[in-house]
Amino acid sequence: MQRDIGKPLFDLVLLVTSAAAFALSTTLRNVEIVGDLSASFFPKLISGLIFLLVIPCLIKDIREWRATGDGSPASQGAGSARNVAQWGLIIVLAAGYILIFEAFGYIPSTALFTFFCIIGLAVISGTWRQLSAMAQLKSVLLAAVFAVTLAVAVFYVFTELFEIPLPD
Amino acid sequence: MISSYLDGLEMVLQWGTLLAIAGGTLLGIVMGALPGLTSAMAVALLLPVTFGMPPVMGIGMMLGALCGAGASGSIPAILLNIPGTPSSVATTFDGFPMAQKGEAGRALGLAIVASFFGGVASMVILSLLAPPIAEFALRFGAAEYFSLSIFGLVIIASVAGKSLLKGLIAGLIGFFVSTIGTDPITGVDRFTFGQLSLLTGVNLLPVLIGLFAVAQVLKDAFEYDPHQRMQDSGHRIDIARPRFIETLRHWKAIVAGVASGSIVGPVPGAGGSIASLVAYDQTRRFSRSPEKFGTGHAPGIVSVESANNALLGGALIPTLALGIPGEAATAVLLGGLMIQGVTPGPLLFDGQSGTVYGIFVAYLVANVFMLLTMCLGIKLFIRVLMVPRKQLLAAILVFCFIGVYGVDGDVFNLFLMLGFGILGYFLNRYQFGTAPVILGLILGPIAESNLRRGLQAFEGDWTPFFTRPISVTFLVIAVGLLALTLWQNHRSNRRPQTASGNEA
Repeated sequence: MQRDIGKPLFDLVLLVTSAAAFALSTTLRNVEIVGDLSASFFPKLISGLIFLLVIPCLIKDIREWRATGDGSPASQGAGSARNVAQWGLIIVLAAGYILIFEAFGYIPSTALFTFFCIIGLAVISGTWRQLSAMAQLKSVLLAAVFAVTLAVAVFYVFTELFEIPLPD
Repeated sequence: MISSYLDGLEMVLQWGTLLAIAGGTLLGIVMGALPGLTSAMAVALLLPVTFGMPPVMGIGMMLGALCGAGASGSIPAILLNIPGTPSSVATTFDGFPMAQKGEAGRALGLAIVASFFGGVASMVILSLLAPPIAEFALRFGAAEYFSLSIFGLVIIASVAGKSLLKGLIAGLIGFFVSTIGTDPITGVDRFTFGQLSLLTGVNLLPVLIGLFAVAQVLKDAFEYDPHQRMQDSGHRIDIARPRFIETLRHWKAIVAGVASGSIVGPVPGAGGSIASLVAYDQTRRFSRSPEKFGTGHAPGIVSVESANNALLGGALIPTLALGIPGEAATAVLLGGLMIQGVTPGPLLFDGQSGTVYGIFVAYLVANVFMLLTMCLGIKLFIRVLMVPRKQLLAAILVFCFIGVYGVDGDVFNLFLMLGFGILGYFLNRYQFGTAPVILGLILGPIAESNLRRGLQAFEGDWTPFFTRPISVTFLVIAVGLLALTLWQNHRSNRRPQTASGNEA
């Protein structure tokens, strides 16, 4: 079996979040209606249940993690630094895209997002280093053409065909 | 009934609706053909596009996507030995060996026609079974709706995740998210933190797209490996001619496929891979030449592919009649229906029967489009398999963003979508599953409002929830299912220990 600390860590995050949600639920305003439950009844019940159900999961996952031993290789699912970097790149670019979406306008922000996604994945995955200078230049040009074409095409399809307003 | 069908036919036989169904089918075929991209993702991506459409047009488009994705998973399964969707796993058993023999076109032709027959047969079953179930459900009051929603939540949590506990946790997460916003009875703000966008509750669309599309893109980005090479059958095909006569010759395999799909489909969480494997197993069991299975035997392909598309019709029965989806893709479809303003359940059949029969006809038309598109465009779809992953991932994300932003122009929803994408990624990775979250989000408000309405009506008395026959039946089945799942988990946990004990 292979080690993956992520499993018990995720359980722990759920445990802490459900405890916080329960605490927040107790602060909800109470409005009395005859025969009715309070507005905080379900949030308290659900967060409490999540807290209780996560505990056995956490214990089981910690046991499994400990049972695999220190010498075991990292789980395939846990992934290498490269996998994590690819995953992180998408999240960072997506967050950046949301932030500049309205300020820069739809076409420039989408083109930039798409371009950096393509080039970023090529760089992190290692294919970029294997390319000659000429091939790198070609890749950049192709990525730029794809990014701009996609942004413009999607903009016109959505604004003209579906009449959905997008930031200019 | 005939007049309802004619009303439905009138709604579907319009250029706009037909184009929408054709477009949805095309997108579904492309998504289903690409390994790793799911039919649920195809429907999630279509949700924003269908937003402004009339219900039958929008739902027809989504059904087209489901239908196309169900059938096109066979393309990579046959040509590359890689199932495009989980339900196409069994297609590789005979499809790939047949392609290796130089008969890739025959294998695809059989798969396409079998999918068509499976889809049409399941549409007939759906239209026969859904209305009486919905009519029965008209007797439901607040207590019954509360019990039904608890039943739905428990049943999908029990089978969707790898473990019962994790499935339940995922369902409860969705339930908790559904409590965010203004309490509908007392008007108290719950967890809005002053954010105006949350006053009316968490918007379903960013959650659906986040959990089913963004989470999948994050998984693909994590696993992205440009050096990965696919095993190819080595045989190119020009056109996959539909093989009606040859497929009909294997009518027993079609019957096995349709029966498996229609029986497994309505069972929440059972999924396509189970239906297709059951169909394959039954066909082999009753075959006169079981030894030929796995070597490129036509009935193997026919049974699996007819089961795949029959499954959708089966899964639509509880989705439309009771508002309880059969699996992830129909859960997203259910969300889509609600965004369209169509509330699935018995009242849908009572008040909007034209729309319901329009949906039935649209499903039939989607199957016809699937047949035509797959036959004519097979070469194009094979080329889609060669599109570089990094371009595809970027393009899918762009569609996710534009789809969510386009609905109400609220940037907050984009952050919400990204957040749920990250949550969905971890839920999938650690075997909690994302389908129960959607179920919790959809069924949570039904459970809460009906329990509270019921308690007000019964003046705070809980006993009617446990004494009314239909209500108590749902609760007993839910508890029974929980107990059964726990017992099965206990048995499967003990088996490896016993085995290792014997070895020692």
